[in-house]
Amino acid sequence: MRFERIGREPDYSRYMDLKEGWLDRRIFSDADIYEEELYRIFARSWLFVAHESQIPNSGDFLTTHMGEDAVIVARQPDGSIRVMLNSCPHRGNKVCFADAGNTRRFVCNYHGWAFDTAGDLKGMHEEYCYDAGDIDFKNHGLKNVAKVGNYKGLVFATFNSDAPSLEAWLGDFRWYLDMILDNEEGGTEFIGGCIKSVISANWKFGVENFIGDAYHAGWTHDSGTRSMNNGQPFPPIDMDNSYHASVNGHGWEFGTEGVGDLFLLGRPKVMDYYNKIRPKMAERLGEMRSKIFGSVASASIFPNVSFLPGISTFRQWQPKGPMQFELKTWVIVNKNMPDDIKEEVTKGVMQTFGPGGTFEMDDGENWENCTTVNRGVVTRHERLHYRCGIGRQIEHDTLPGIVYRGQYNDANQRGFYQRWLDMMTHDEFGKMPARPEPQLGNVGETRDLPGLFAL
Amino acid sequence: MLDRPLAPPPVEVIVAVTQALHREARLLDNEDLDGWLAMLGKDVSYRLELKSRRFRADRSPPFPLGPGVIFNEDLGRLKMRVDRLKSGFVWAEDPPNYIRRAVSNVEVLATRADNEVRVHSVLGMHRNRIDGTTRLLTAGRTDLWRSEGSAWLLAAREIVLDHSVLPDSNLNAFF
Repeated sequence: MRFERIGREPDYSRYMDLKEGWLDRRIFSDADIYEEELYRIFARSWLFVAHESQIPNSGDFLTTHMGEDAVIVARQPDGSIRVMLNSCPHRGNKVCFADAGNTRRFVCNYHGWAFDTAGDLKGMHEEYCYDAGDIDFKNHGLKNVAKVGNYKGLVFATFNSDAPSLEAWLGDFRWYLDMILDNEEGGTEFIGGCIKSVISANWKFGVENFIGDAYHAGWTHDSGTRSMNNGQPFPPIDMDNSYHASVNGHGWEFGTEGVGDLFLLGRPKVMDYYNKIRPKMAERLGEMRSKIFGSVASASIFPNVSFLPGISTFRQWQPKGPMQFELKTWVIVNKNMPDDIKEEVTKGVMQTFGPGGTFEMDDGENWENCTTVNRGVVTRHERLHYRCGIGRQIEHDTLPGIVYRGQYNDANQRGFYQRWLDMMTHDEFGKMPARPEPQLGNVGETRDLPGLFAL
Repeated sequence: MLDRPLAPPPVEVIVAVTQALHREARLLDNEDLDGWLAMLGKDVSYRLELKSRRFRADRSPPFPLGPGVIFNEDLGRLKMRVDRLKSGFVWAEDPPNYIRRAVSNVEVLATRADNEVRVHSVLGMHRNRIDGTTRLLTAGRTDLWRSEGSAWLLAAREIVLDHSVLPDSNLNAFF
């Protein structure tokens, strides 16, 4: 299935040269480019819609967006999860205005059309006004998405019936995702609620910040680091033992010192907890991944999900026009953690990366000002510099993906924009290049795989 | 329980507490953060509730775990936030934002304790930021104020922000 805009075939490759390391600023504010992103990226990608723990019981639902399309994510009586447009097929009104809850029916406010949690049309107000042959109930339910998938608790959906499987979409990045989703028996859950804030910036600035921009932390967050660290600034990074890894536009930047993000969380009990389970984590995921977890690190899943492993903030950047996004944040914890450790994690996240947190308060205005300033009519024609560490690509015998040495690097950002360009350019998924060629393509379960050397 | 309605607090108390609210707003507007910290009790609790839009008929229990709040600060945390703002490294506040708070709908109610009053108020906060954008935030507040010596100190504040989506990229300012 393809959703296409009519009459626009621009050459997007003119907006960047990633071998040289520059981007054209227009991709951060141009309305036509943004509209095309909704068609070519958001209507075709696998998009995160929920953590399965948010809707544990039959009838549980939440509302969210896939791109700018409003959707309902609902748990079915048989335990499966369905994702459908939150829009009545009669006149298009939303059928659910709640953020979350439990229900048997979604009823449109306009004419009382009623749908069950699978989206099937069950009836409407004054049903007698429809004569035989006026309406086929079967074909007038809430439109379901093409595919729903679940990777270790994270539920994704896509409108694109031609999309590869979720496993293939995440590909070798699963090896990295296991560090946050599968570092302990029992997997993960979201706890507490969802905090939403509106930020007047282009959505890509949020994603690229988390995908690779460790570099900003020491400067942007200087005040926060000093206030949490007895006046001391952010410590220097070990450029020899830290990395960027990029897989088809997903990316993880990380150290291997094991404690940096856990320290920044500011909750010693959580640090103790992970140090206690670290030997088990090493048995489970291999030595390398047990050393990466907890280090200074950040990651994004293409196109618009990010998280901080170790700090446990999980977030989505929902596009709301070229110069605005809605930031949704949650707290992710291991399901088998004792309750007091879960509480400690939520406190830590609130105090660091909540809207009143010591780090979160610094980021938004940078992205907002990058967006508005880049829009200047002369300014927008200037290039932006994305060349940091461009010569530091390495082959690594443990780490999958396109790997660069040195955590201060633009490599993952370049990988993200390369994937952006691939999706904006190619009509067919099959013709899109894999970056890199999958190395774990035949691996069913990546938890038991310590690294590439094990192949 | 043999609860009798409590008599309203004396007019002098109502005036003193109302003046304390106005003074607090002025200190914060003028970035006299040490002056503000001095108005807080040692055991102060300062919370902003996290809201979620639910159907009125929805009987789902509240979140079993997790904060249910956007922040939940004690005096140590508030001092840390003030230290951060005073560090000279908060680029988003330099040059300073223009912030003006208006306190309204003040109701001072007696409690069982002689030296404590419950105070409802409404706060409107205008923020004009370094890039010129303006945000208007409104919140309801339920406080506990305690008389210690000659001063009234803030012992607890529950803030309810009237926005299901925070209309700003940060909450640097105090409510």
